[in-house]
Amino acid sequence: MESRLDASLASTLDVLAWEVELAGARSIFLDSVIGEMMKVIPETDQGRFVEAMHTVDLLSQQLTSLSAFTRRLSSVAPTGSSVAVGEALGDITLGALADRMASALGAEERGINERDEAGDLDLF
Amino acid sequence: MVMVNTGSKVVVADSDRTVLELLQIRLDVAGYHACVARNGPAVLETLKYLRPSALVIDVALAEMNGFEVLEALSRRPERLPPTLVVGRKLAAEDITKALSLGARDCMTKPFSGADVLDRIGRLVRDPGLGVPARRVQWIDA
Repeated sequence: MESRLDASLASTLDVLAWEVELAGARSIFLDSVIGEMMKVIPETDQGRFVEAMHTVDLLSQQLTSLSAFTRRLSSVAPTGSSVAVGEALGDITLGALADRMASALGAEERGINERDEAGDLDLF
Repeated sequence: MVMVNTGSKVVVADSDRTVLELLQIRLDVAGYHACVARNGPAVLETLKYLRPSALVIDVALAEMNGFEVLEALSRRPERLPPTLVVGRKLAAEDITKALSLGARDCMTKPFSGADVLDRIGRLVRDPGLGVPARRVQWIDA
């Protein structure tokens, strides 16, 4: 990852907004899966699933709101102001996420885009 | 809330992987079958074999931009699927061009997943009706 990479503040916030929106979409997916599971599990065991559904629903709303907030900030960010994003990108341990963000912010991709590799943790 | 769309196929073309994955998930959860493409030639290839209920295409595609893809599709004998053109800072002339090439609707980025899903739903439900260009400009202003 290029550690000296700079990007405009507006672009950085915009890229962040898209990623938060994507996280929200993933939680909506989880919500739908839990909803499907609710149909096949015994009524006596549904309490925890209802709790999980509410939690995931709250999470997706939280992420959607944060995405809208970040996007609004991006639209009002001062023109010409830039931030050093290289080192911050290096802190992202999820390979596919770091790769997508780096690409969107103008750095070279590492080419991680397969679903199998999407959850890798660069800890070792 | 999960909407059931009985597996209507939607082709989504965007060079941004985050946008692609976001739309793929939102469409899957809403009951659509999403097919994704990251560049213009991939859209043309996909539409040789697939007759989707809707096409969502970004103007700034790699290799062939969205307008070039629509031009190429307009030369084919098959009808263009109901198409939503998306892009950053779409100017009035971009919207006019998209509509003249057969697109039914246009939408300026950034958009929320919910908003674009709503537009796709309208295209699939009523493919003959798009949003008039003047209204599109007002919505996206």
